Amino acid sequence: MKKQRVEADVLCIGGGIAGLMAAIRAKELSAQKVVVVEKGNALHSGKARAGNDHFECYIPDIDGPDMLAFMNERYKTQVGAIFSATNIKLVQACYRRSFDVVKLWDSWGIPMRYRGKWESAGHCFPGGVRGMLKYEGQMQKPILVKKAIERGVEILNRVMVVELLCSNDGSIIGAIGMHTREDKLVVFQAKSIVLGTGGVDKLYPPPVPGCMASIPGCLTLTGDGRAMLYRVGGELAAMELPWRHVGPRYFARFGQGTWVGVLRDSQGKPVGPYVTKPDKKCGDITPEVDKSVLEDFVRKGRGPIYMDCRGISDEDYEYMMHWHGHEGNVALLNYMEEEGIDLRKNPVEFGTYAMFAGGGVPVNENAETSIRGVYAAGDELIAGIGLIGFAASGGQIAGESAVKYSNERTSVDIDEATAQIDKKEKLLQEIRSREIGPDWKEATIAFQQIMQDYAGFVRYETLLRAGLIYLRRLKEKVNTTIMARNRWELTRCLETLNLLDLAEAVFMAANERKEKRGLHKRIDYPLTNPMLDGKLLCIRKVAGKPIIEWRERDK
Amino acid sequence: MPPIIDKTKCNGCGKCVDMCTEDVFFGSEKGKVPVVTYPDFCVHFNCCVKECPIEGAIRLRIPLELSLLYVG
Repeated sequence: MKKQRVEADVLCIGGGIAGLMAAIRAKELSAQKVVVVEKGNALHSGKARAGNDHFECYIPDIDGPDMLAFMNERYKTQVGAIFSATNIKLVQACYRRSFDVVKLWDSWGIPMRYRGKWESAGHCFPGGVRGMLKYEGQMQKPILVKKAIERGVEILNRVMVVELLCSNDGSIIGAIGMHTREDKLVVFQAKSIVLGTGGVDKLYPPPVPGCMASIPGCLTLTGDGRAMLYRVGGELAAMELPWRHVGPRYFARFGQGTWVGVLRDSQGKPVGPYVTKPDKKCGDITPEVDKSVLEDFVRKGRGPIYMDCRGISDEDYEYMMHWHGHEGNVALLNYMEEEGIDLRKNPVEFGTYAMFAGGGVPVNENAETSIRGVYAAGDELIAGIGLIGFAASGGQIAGESAVKYSNERTSVDIDEATAQIDKKEKLLQEIRSREIGPDWKEATIAFQQIMQDYAGFVRYETLLRAGLIYLRRLKEKVNTTIMARNRWELTRCLETLNLLDLAEAVFMAANERKEKRGLHKRIDYPLTNPMLDGKLLCIRKVAGKPIIEWRERDK
Repeated sequence: MPPIIDKTKCNGCGKCVDMCTEDVFFGSEKGKVPVVTYPDFCVHFNCCVKECPIEGAIRLRIPLELSLLYVG
């Protein structure tokens, strides 16, 4: 296998919003060499790849001078569920700079105003504060990539980082990358690292049998950053807390807040108490109170549930369709046009999508992880579910912290990690050389069914304990037998190994949280325990063994 | 399953191959009409269609199992 060596003062793993914003900021603060390494192509990667139309943002002139009061209101929406497991000082820091980032993006050519004005809509209760700024994000990735390159950031596409490397004192010194198309290993020597590899979209089975793509997210978002950090002893948190999303049934898409309509049951009654006719300022926030409400209605004999946009004005219809395009739903719009589906006449069935793990990498207000020299932002964080505004602001914070750390470091020596690099190279060669064994797809189906049946919607101790035994047995088998017929399959195999590590963490954490919290529903512990508010369930490896412990969230 | 390439229109520029993060065109040769090697892995974000310089040379076909369900 060919080897390439890349040195960086700041290495950003993942070319999404967080990684690009971190890299841009690091370069602006005069870091000498900043590299973004991306598994796909940074122009079209990550959850923001095809666009976005809402940016979580606090604008003092519109939202009032009291940011904390504004935050308290926002905590009542789904944003609150995300932030409940996130360091509050970081949340405040992101809100504080969010409007500056908005203005920056606007100056870069990402249109952040609607018809010349700041306009917030969707994901809010009637009469409540709005926190989602509407913006035209369809071209955001190419623009951010251009801005990064203009500042001298080097972008390496088609390289999957497969392992972090630490020195004997536990601080970061680099990473191992694998080219996804060529037979090449890329060894990074880095003074600091920013993790921004996104969320974990493939831990549970897709809702449509046999159709992997029936998820709203991306099949390549496999928790790579979390898994790598975990393997070098870094802390993960809230892995037991699941997340779900709602949208058009089967044709799974993001953009719940982009729809201007009312969720109604089969008798035409609104599912929730918030809207009775299409309201472009609020949308229908009902599912954000409980994402499983649509599924529950169907089980209770009130299904199917439809997103009913009938009665929408022509102007508001144009408004909704405009934003769907920027939200990344062009394929959905094209499909509806081809099929003759007119949302002004045709209510579309909505459903609750599959589970995904909402936990991730806990950080402090400076975006520092538990490993010295490693920072994280965006969906890499706890409960990261695609809040662009926080990926952008948090990315900046991570970039600033990384530069500061790198500037204080004299040098790092990747040769300390030669044995680890050789071991990883050997593993890659082994997977490629096996002729008999499960491929990534077989292994994925095997662990996804265990996740669904033993750590899914139904959770209790004996089930979780049995599931962990089955999962560990499977993991052992997959680790020693998985095979890849080509480089593409090898990439999928390494993603699968990452997912198996995270699956184990989910099982352990789900068993430890003996209460109901959000969508983590324990049959044997049906009550929510307020004593656990503000506490975080963390898992890390000590001497190769997972250790689970509670700590204060804002430590 | 998506994407569908019109061989009579495609000029083999490879933009779709470069852009696809899922790399569904894995193994395609430069200068030739791309091969859709992993159609199951397409997540329908339309990036290949958006980047294609020739109108109608590539499109997504949404598979039946993802059909929208609607009334009216």
